[in-house]
Amino acid sequence: MSPAGPQVLEADGIQVAFAGRQVLASIYLRVQTGQIVGLLGRNGSGKSVLLQTIFGTRTVADASVRVNGRRVVPAFRQPGLLNYLPQEPLLPPSLTLRQAARLLGVDLGAATARFPELRTQFDCRIGELSGGSARLLQTLLLLHADTAFSLFDEPFSGVMPVHVETLADEMQRLKQRKGLLLTDHRHAEVLPLCDVVYLLHHGRLLKLEGNVKEALRDYGYLAH
Amino acid sequence: MVFVFTWLRAVLLFYRSIAPFMLGISGLILAAVLLPALHEGWGEGLLPGLLLTKLATAPVVWYLSEQLRPGQYWFYFNLGVSRRRLWSGVVALDGLLFLGGVLAMRAGVA
Repeated sequence: MSPAGPQVLEADGIQVAFAGRQVLASIYLRVQTGQIVGLLGRNGSGKSVLLQTIFGTRTVADASVRVNGRRVVPAFRQPGLLNYLPQEPLLPPSLTLRQAARLLGVDLGAATARFPELRTQFDCRIGELSGGSARLLQTLLLLHADTAFSLFDEPFSGVMPVHVETLADEMQRLKQRKGLLLTDHRHAEVLPLCDVVYLLHHGRLLKLEGNVKEALRDYGYLAH
Repeated sequence: MVFVFTWLRAVLLFYRSIAPFMLGISGLILAAVLLPALHEGWGEGLLPGLLLTKLATAPVVWYLSEQLRPGQYWFYFNLGVSRRRLWSGVVALDGLLFLGGVLAMRAGVA
């Protein structure tokens, strides 16, 4: 975390429509260093589009992304500000994990300290790993990278339960120095992690307060 | 300075992924146009035209690359390198390699 105090990432003014359907319309999102913020929503609700717009790789007219009130568009070009784990593979197929970690400035040994079984795979290319291990390692690389914020699109996808629990612990530990914005359908794991929960519902971003599970049921995200 | 170093490493890494196309085109131009021209003695003065031809093929490789591997940029974005910076570096590097190939071929034939 910055010595000057917490950093605040805010995004608003984001309007996106596909084939005449308004996907994102009324958006205000705030993430602070020291927080884990959950972004939930049904399939096709625009969660990935929102994350990519904040990251700055999707150009949206009038989108405003700010850090401590300063406009940062495209945010990914600001050194040390944020990184993003997409749903698809992050690493180029020719790169080993060790090489990727070096480029990202991550100490791979420290990043995998809680996952000793992964240490034999440092010299593997991403395509040589199982889907779950690849996902976990890519998440760990970005989680341990020296950025103020990390945006994770389905970080738990394909990861086995014992690793999900440890990864969640790692996120809790590392939020001391960064802000995390994550979206994942594994709500049972995501909800206990989050300090703030948003739901994307019909293009509007709703901040859920009070009984979050009940609100998720009311909006049709959960059945029971 | 740190960014320039990261950018250069990103460009080299990205170039590896498209090198078969880029170097293949270079090889084709050199073998099919420059080599016969040098042997027949009219190769002098061809360089600007060849270089322009080579540069003109870059958009084709870019288009194919976008269509075949749309998700290839995420790692580079996470290094803070945009598409434009990546491709400008790749085109410059490829142009230099092509130029090197032309000079080597000229020296070899001469």
